[in-house]
Amino acid sequence: MSSTVLEPPRGVRRWVGLALSLVVLLATWSVVAAADLVEPHYLTPSPLQVWDAFIRANSHHAVGGGIDRVVRGEENYFLWEHLVVSLRRIGLGLLFGVLVGVPLGLLMGSVRWVGDLVGPYVDFLRSLPPLAYIGFLVAWFGIYDTSKVWLLFLAAFPPITLATINGVRGVRQDQLNAARSLGASGLQLTTAVTLPATLPDILSGLRVAVGFAWTTVVAAELVNGLPGIGGLAYLSGTQNKIALSVACILVIGLTAIALDAVIRTIEKLVVPWRGKA
Amino acid sequence: MSKGITVAGLGHEFRARGGAVPALEGIDLDIAPGEFVTLAGPSGCGKTTLLRLVAGFAAPTSGTITVGDVPVAGPGPDRGVVFQQPTLYPWLDVRRNVALGPKLRGVGKAQRLATAGRYLELVGLSDAADRRPYELSGGMQQRAQIARVLAGDPEVVLMDEPYGALDALTRERLQNELLSLWRASGKTILFITHSVDEAVFLGSRVLVMSPRPGRIVFDEFVPFSADADLAPEEIRALPKFAEVAGRVREAISH
Ligand SMILES: Nc1ncnc2c1ncn2[C@@H]1O[C@H](COP(=O)(O)OP(=O)(O)OP(=O)(O)O)[C@@H](O)[C@H]1O
Ligand SMILES: [Mg+2]
Repeated sequence: MSSTVLEPPRGVRRWVGLALSLVVLLATWSVVAAADLVEPHYLTPSPLQVWDAFIRANSHHAVGGGIDRVVRGEENYFLWEHLVVSLRRIGLGLLFGVLVGVPLGLLMGSVRWVGDLVGPYVDFLRSLPPLAYIGFLVAWFGIYDTSKVWLLFLAAFPPITLATINGVRGVRQDQLNAARSLGASGLQLTTAVTLPATLPDILSGLRVAVGFAWTTVVAAELVNGLPGIGGLAYLSGTQNKIALSVACILVIGLTAIALDAVIRTIEKLVVPWRGKA
Repeated sequence: MSKGITVAGLGHEFRARGGAVPALEGIDLDIAPGEFVTLAGPSGCGKTTLLRLVAGFAAPTSGTITVGDVPVAGPGPDRGVVFQQPTLYPWLDVRRNVALGPKLRGVGKAQRLATAGRYLELVGLSDAADRRPYELSGGMQQRAQIARVLAGDPEVVLMDEPYGALDALTRERLQNELLSLWRASGKTILFITHSVDEAVFLGSRVLVMSPRPGRIVFDEFVPFSADADLAPEEIRALPKFAEVAGRVREAISH
């Protein structure tokens, strides 16, 4: 017991470990970049160059190359604005995904024949890589945001629907019986019992959908993706602005982790009973 | 007002993998309004099945059940059910769990929360009103569940071994509590239990069922619980109490 008291708590140890490994990683990276193993040298930007690119992309800066002109960020948007545009796209896609997926899942889970009838189609849609139908969506909805939001909606709603169905089918029969014995009508049963009892599953589905939508949006922005963080990562790579591209990649990855943390926090706040009841 | 229960020619079979399982057979039963009927019997004899059929959770394979002259066709707010495992809703705090019955009936917020507060006080849970069910002990959950059923103001209360999982002391306290609740409200209660003493202490009428398929093999009116002059400790100490308990015990083991 006494030794555990003296040791720092697990959380602290974890963060210290993470910080140390980051230092080692950055140092190794700097050494490799400085060694110029790959020619030309701009293919191996150092951490500092990536940081510079990141700052430039978030500020007004001179074009350079002797031209006397100041530009705004990259491609006329700051990097954080590219990020926000991408986030807005998945936000909209997820919003529609929830608005359609949850009621559909409740219906499919509660009414057997609806589930049997629609289930295979949702399964089919889920098994498609979203990029397979981006061309089709562009043909229908144009190259701008509408087609991307549709894409993300179609990517997001199957996992949400399937998780909701799963939740509905797992609701304890006696929780429904108890409400009926208290006088709940059919609709009241759904709002007072089925929906809240399914909330943990809905949030699990949402978490899957967020991860899926994020990888999808970044990939979808390869085509006419500007502004957009995925578009910027791709474009800067093709223009040999490797430092900027690496900065974008880091932002994309960290954003994914942050999104996941947000959903988990929401889970803790909204379903504090998870695993306890 | 409380309602009576009439069960006529009731039989029930479960379709299981190994074929049909007859759980109940030829049950005829007439429970008058305001009676406190306790039902004992060996494990697996069909007590829960009978209670669920009266609650309307399933339809019997034969026979009829009538509650207050209306045939049972499904669950309804006239029959409150206290489950063996408390089925409180973890997304609501205890007060809102108890207020659910009035809420479903469309009672306004202030009034239904006041009602809930009253019943929580009745079962001694006022201090726990703002907690979530999973933050309560098993006994407290059971009391909260009873408060929820009572707040729904049913004519008939169906209770399935509500105190089965509690320690002896808590159990005795809740029995005393329930006894005074029944004496004050005059509701019709059907109460399932494994405990002979509990059956004889609480019931104004004690039933015993035979092993599966369940039939009623013992049916006797017991004078103790309805006698408002008798305090709980006095009932348990009566020589007559031990005598009735002995006969019930014998009926179960036959
Ligand atoms: N859903 C079901 N499917 C198949 N058989 C069932 C089902 N429910 C109950 N049974 C069977 O019916 C019989 C009666 O069950 P029931 O739950 O009513 O017994 P019980 O008297 O309440 O027992 P206990 O005192 O152990 O709770 C048992 O043999 C049980 O195996
Ligand atoms: Mg039982």
